[in-house]
Amino acid sequence: MHELSMTTQIVDSVLEEAKKQDARKVTEVHLVIGKLTFLGIEQVRFSYKILVEDTIMKGSKLIIEEKDGTIECPGCGYKGAIPFEDDPAYHVPIPTLRCPKCGKAAKIIEGNECTIRSIRMLK
Amino acid sequence: MANLKEVVKGEEVTLEIEPGMDILEVNKQLAQKNMELLREDNVRAIDIMGSIGAGKTSLIEKLVQALKQKYRIAVFKGDLTTTIDAERIGRHGVQVLTINTGRECHLDANVVARAVERISLEDIDLLFIENVGNLICPAEFPLGTEKRVVVVSVTEGPYMVVKHPFTFMNADVTVINKKDLAEIMKIDTEQLKKQVKEIKPDVKVAVTNALSGEGVEELIKALEL
Repeated sequence: MHELSMTTQIVDSVLEEAKKQDARKVTEVHLVIGKLTFLGIEQVRFSYKILVEDTIMKGSKLIIEEKDGTIECPGCGYKGAIPFEDDPAYHVPIPTLRCPKCGKAAKIIEGNECTIRSIRMLK
Repeated sequence: MANLKEVVKGEEVTLEIEPGMDILEVNKQLAQKNMELLREDNVRAIDIMGSIGAGKTSLIEKLVQALKQKYRIAVFKGDLTTTIDAERIGRHGVQVLTINTGRECHLDANVVARAVERISLEDIDLLFIENVGNLICPAEFPLGTEKRVVVVSVTEGPYMVVKHPFTFMNADVTVINKKDLAEIMKIDTEQLKKQVKEIKPDVKVAVTNALSGEGVEELIKALEL
C-alpha cells in the first residue's frame, strides 16, 4: 500500500547518487526486496515507471530480485529459511517463527529489507 | 555503512553498493533514535496497530482509565484527517496529540520523532501511540516503542490471522477484541489464539471486550505495566 512512497525514496536516492557522479543518464537500477516486507513487486514497478518520467532515469531498466526470509534461533543457534506450517485447518501454509529444530521462538534476520544494490549510469 | 564501488567502462559507470542501500533502514535508524530518547526520560512507549474498527481507541480509553493513577500518560493518535478519536481519549484527562497522516497508510518513526518534540517527556511515564487503522502497513515501520501490539476483532472474520502472518510476527502482544460477539460471529477465539501462537511462539495474547473492559487486566499484564 505504501509502494508509491517507498519507490519515491528509491528514485530520490538514485537521483542523488547520479548527481554526485555527474551522470547524464541512469540506465539500470538493481533492487533487492525481502519477501517479509509488505511491498508488492508489480506496484513498485508501476510507481517507478511514473516517477522516473521527467528525470534522467526515464527508460532505465529496473531489476528486482526477491530475497527469502531467514530466521535465527537464539535458543539453539539454528539459522535458515523461514519455515511454513502446512496445517490443513489453516487452508494455506502459514509462515512461523517457531524454530524447526528446538521449537523456541526465532528472530527474523533477513527478508525485511528493500535495498538498492547497484546503479548503472552514463556520464 | 554501505560500501560503494565504481566500475567504469568507457562512459558507463556502475555503482555497486555493498551490502546495499536499504530504503527501510532510514526508518529503522530513526526508530532507534526515538527509543533512546524515550529511554533517557524513562518513558515506556507502546505502539498499537490494527484494522479500522478493531477497537484500538476503545482499548486505549480503557487502558488510560485503568492506569492513569499509576502513570502520567500521553497518547499520540495517528489519524488520516480528523481529531474525533483524540477528543474521545482526551476526555479521560490525559494529554493527546493527533498526528494527521493525510493519505499515508501508517505512522513512521519520523512523524513520531516530530510529535515527541512537541511534548515534554519529563512530564510523562507512559506513551500510547495509536497507529493508523490498517492491519498491514504499520508493521513495516517500527516507531521506536518498547512494545508493539496488534488488535484484531472477531468481526473481522476467521482468517485475519492466517492471512496476515507477517503483521503478527512484528507484534509482542496480540489482542483479540470483541469477545462478546464471538458466538454470534461463530468464531472460536481459542482457535485464533492458537494461530497467533503458531506464527509467533513467544507472543502474549489477551482476549478482550474493550467496551465492557473485560480482559483489559489481562492486557495490562501482557504489557508488563
